[in-house]
Amino acid sequence: MFTHYIDLAWRSFKRTPLVSILMVLAIAVGIGITMTSLSVYHMMSMDPIPSKSSKLFHVQLGTMDDGEEWWTEDSLPQQITYKDAMALYHANTPARKVASMRSGFTVHMNNDQIKPFLESTRVTGRDFFAMFELDFLYGATWTTQQEQSAAPVIVISEQLNDKLFGGENSIGKEIYLDDSSFQIVGVTKKWNIHTKYYDVTNGAFNDPENVFMPITQIAAMELPSWGNTNGWKFEEVNTYQQRLTSEVFWLQFWVELDSPQQETQYRDYLTNYLTEQGKLGRYTREEAFFGLRNVNEWLTYNKVVSEENKILVGLSFMFLIVCLANILGLLLGKFLRRAPEVGVRRALGASKGDIFKQHLVEVSMLGLMGGLLGIGIAQLGLWGVRQTHDYYSALATMDISMLFIAPFIAISACVLAGLYPAWLVCRTTPALYLKTQ
Amino acid sequence: MLEIKPIFNSLRRSKAGALMLLIQIAITTAIVSNAAFIIKDKVEYLQQETGYPEDEIFSFSVLTYGKDRDLNQMFEEDETMLRNIPGVIDASLFSTVPVSGSGSASSFQLDADPTDSKSTRAAYTMTDEHGLNALGVKVGEGRAFTAQDVVVTQESSELPTVVLATRSFITEMFPEGDGLGNIIYFGINPIKIVGVIEKMKGPWLKDSAVENLIIFPKMMANTYQRIVVRTRAQDRASVLGQIEDLMLAKYDKRVVVGLQGMDDAKDEQNAGDILMMRMLIVLIVVLVLVTALGIFGLTVFNINKRTKQIGTRRALGARKSAIVSYFLVENSLICVAGLVIGAAGAVALGQGLFEYYSLPALDYMYIVMTAVFVLFFSLLSVLMPANKAANISPSVATRSI
Repeated sequence: MFTHYIDLAWRSFKRTPLVSILMVLAIAVGIGITMTSLSVYHMMSMDPIPSKSSKLFHVQLGTMDDGEEWWTEDSLPQQITYKDAMALYHANTPARKVASMRSGFTVHMNNDQIKPFLESTRVTGRDFFAMFELDFLYGATWTTQQEQSAAPVIVISEQLNDKLFGGENSIGKEIYLDDSSFQIVGVTKKWNIHTKYYDVTNGAFNDPENVFMPITQIAAMELPSWGNTNGWKFEEVNTYQQRLTSEVFWLQFWVELDSPQQETQYRDYLTNYLTEQGKLGRYTREEAFFGLRNVNEWLTYNKVVSEENKILVGLSFMFLIVCLANILGLLLGKFLRRAPEVGVRRALGASKGDIFKQHLVEVSMLGLMGGLLGIGIAQLGLWGVRQTHDYYSALATMDISMLFIAPFIAISACVLAGLYPAWLVCRTTPALYLKTQ
Repeated sequence: MLEIKPIFNSLRRSKAGALMLLIQIAITTAIVSNAAFIIKDKVEYLQQETGYPEDEIFSFSVLTYGKDRDLNQMFEEDETMLRNIPGVIDASLFSTVPVSGSGSASSFQLDADPTDSKSTRAAYTMTDEHGLNALGVKVGEGRAFTAQDVVVTQESSELPTVVLATRSFITEMFPEGDGLGNIIYFGINPIKIVGVIEKMKGPWLKDSAVENLIIFPKMMANTYQRIVVRTRAQDRASVLGQIEDLMLAKYDKRVVVGLQGMDDAKDEQNAGDILMMRMLIVLIVVLVLVTALGIFGLTVFNINKRTKQIGTRRALGARKSAIVSYFLVENSLICVAGLVIGAAGAVALGQGLFEYYSLPALDYMYIVMTAVFVLFFSLLSVLMPANKAANISPSVATRSI
């Protein structure tokens, strides 16, 4: 019966080609526009690490004087000071944790074959890779002992390994960062993250770094920060040593807490730490104040999805409604004109339900055609978005889930629009139409 | 004369179709008026004057990893080399580049003691006596830097004693208008304002005080050094293309990055706004088209349904113009009802956007303009099918009975 309905639907499509094409176009344009903005929104707001996003927590410390303002919603600075980062990192808490910051170097091989180039570098703890599920192609992270002694070791990405060594195993080889040589201990696999959630302060959708080195190099090499450095009070900061002991914020800190108990314990630890620091007279604040947000909370807090994008998604769904009203009006006309024909079918024994089903199959077919065409339009739209700026190249794409959801939205929208006309036409009384013919 | 009552009665008999049209028109009005307003807001923001001849300026950064050179001396020679390239008007080192999206800001005080002194936040940059010319801006009041003002040093604590400030900063710091020649404090260091620049924007275009900018006459070449070059507009591309080779030919233990025209840097900072503007324009155009097609389709359908009635009316002596005006009035009735609801919707949507997002309050003129526009388009899309209907011959009505 179903194939028969499809056949009927196709005949009906051909009988009024103009109106049918109009309807398919309306739904296609509606889906195209909606999917364009929804895809960008989906990529921006997608959970970057679904398996662990509720276990990884970003730490913020209220180490400013009481009454000092910050531009975040709760006046907590996004980053923390070096001395706090080191204290938290070396504290005897059971959780996995890393402090990190972005720096950068000129990479070269000390020969003429490869022209020196800049690479930004993540300076962090050895657990970074395990915490953020960054897997290794060759080798592994540096050892605890190498980290403690600030040994000249680095981990590089597969991409950089391809560029410098043609993709072969480069463990043990040396490359130059500025004027010192470093030994490669690990090569990470390609990292497909669309949101650079571990450091949103340097552009949440920028590419991850290609070089990683132990956090202890900050003090040993006096590394400059390639990220934001923010202070809140006047301090003499002329030497690097002064910077390390100052109150300026320039590092990020993450912990991995596997259970609610661990989270409570860590909160207690932070409370104690801050109370202690307050007693030392570092800042005037009676109560310990800190932020502990998991990955998704952290992204929301930093407004990673731009409000422009939310407005666009809202407007395009309203646009889809306009297209639906459009289709509903046209369907109403198309179906009702067919009343005599339906009268004959009813007289020949078709039940109301049969007529209803037949018409829903017809609108579903229109929906499917519109949805497929809509995917094409959305691809065109996304191509346009990518042309606007490189920044969107990874964001303005449709992943599999969006590809499947597009015809689904189109069909359900059409069925929704078709319900009333189909219901109207299936109530046709056969006698009336048989009489007039 | 305008048969409103019979039209209204016949509308009541085919409610659903008319209702759909009404909904379309209402939502279209609400969306288009708000979207047009947002577009206007974005266009105004994107067209703002930065104060610089953007198409003549480009900047780049040099990362020097070799340790065997005196940086100040090396960059002094680089500057001379850059200024001598044919087509180049001027070139200069900058600690941070305006409109680039990255920079430094600090608060400047009226007194040395920061605790209860008035302070104003401003972005700042450091350059030499060629800096202003390289940016293509002029001092409006007071004087520009001379070579004697410029402090050449490698000590970050060593500061010059004079600065240039923008009009925006001076007005905020000295509302009485006595800013020029006065002293401000950068930390505990007193500095004198010797010149005022009428208009130039700082590094961040979305900053609330985007034109607060202080310029120090100081040259402290860094391992990560930014350089601004101004050329004749038509020569910019060719000069930009030579930079990397020329710089590396002079000394090769360094990397040249971030070669970018100022207009491109501006576009990069505004990529989100440009994108939103483009998407909204597409949305409006397509929306109006879809609505117009919907009205067209529905009118065609109505006419087909009423072929016999129209024929009968014509046979009974109705003129063609009466038929056309019937459909025009019918459509206008629906359209006006839709516009009234749509205007209310537009106000509500505008309120929502104003409350939850950082958008200015909707200007109601945009609703009025949109309403006129939508009415015009809807009448236009009725006109063609209505004219076709007027040509229905009276015989059609009588034939099939």
